Amino acid sequence: MTGTTFEVAALAGLSLAALLLVRLAKGPTVSDRLVAVNTMATQATLAVIFFAAFADRTIYLDVALWLCSFSYLATVVWARYLERGLL
Amino acid sequence: MTVREGFVVALVAVGFFFTLSGVVGILRMPDLYTRIQCSSKTITMGALPALAAVVVGEGPVSPYGSRALLVAFLLLVVNPLSSHALARAAYKTGVPMWKGAVMDQVGQPRPDGTDRR
Repeated sequence: MTGTTFEVAALAGLSLAALLLVRLAKGPTVSDRLVAVNTMATQATLAVIFFAAFADRTIYLDVALWLCSFSYLATVVWARYLERGLL
Repeated sequence: MTVREGFVVALVAVGFFFTLSGVVGILRMPDLYTRIQCSSKTITMGALPALAAVVVGEGPVSPYGSRALLVAFLLLVVNPLSSHALARAAYKTGVPMWKGAVMDQVGQPRPDGTDRR
């Protein structure tokens, strides 16, 4: 029962991330696209954790931790480029 | 269904509906700043119940529960940081606000020229 719930939760989170592809395609600025990418990274982290708990594989948890730790770098580097004009 | 499974299902459902409202907001909101607000607040508050579901379902000292707690802490630190950096940079480089925006407390006049500081 709990495993089925986790599987459904992973698939639901991924479908929500797929909805965000609309904003990723439409823009209109790069910052808008980065908002969508940031949210998709959060959803991917949750989906990986749910799938690891569903499939009982602890090795996937490292993927989730990595995604969560470094997904903000794209946004921060883009913000720094916008403000200072250098990377 | 035990009580623990009921809590897991309820927490996952709460997280899903928060995240759904956040995604709809990102798709429908009129300008960048309101989209950033949906991305930072609603998505974070939708991720926390979902991670709490993992903690409740697997136990806080299991590998899954402890990693879920760690990811929740990282999300609470990292998501506001990136949202703030992006909003600040966008405002400084003059990304326009929505035409119906009521107030800009940082100090620029409204897009249509009227000033309501």
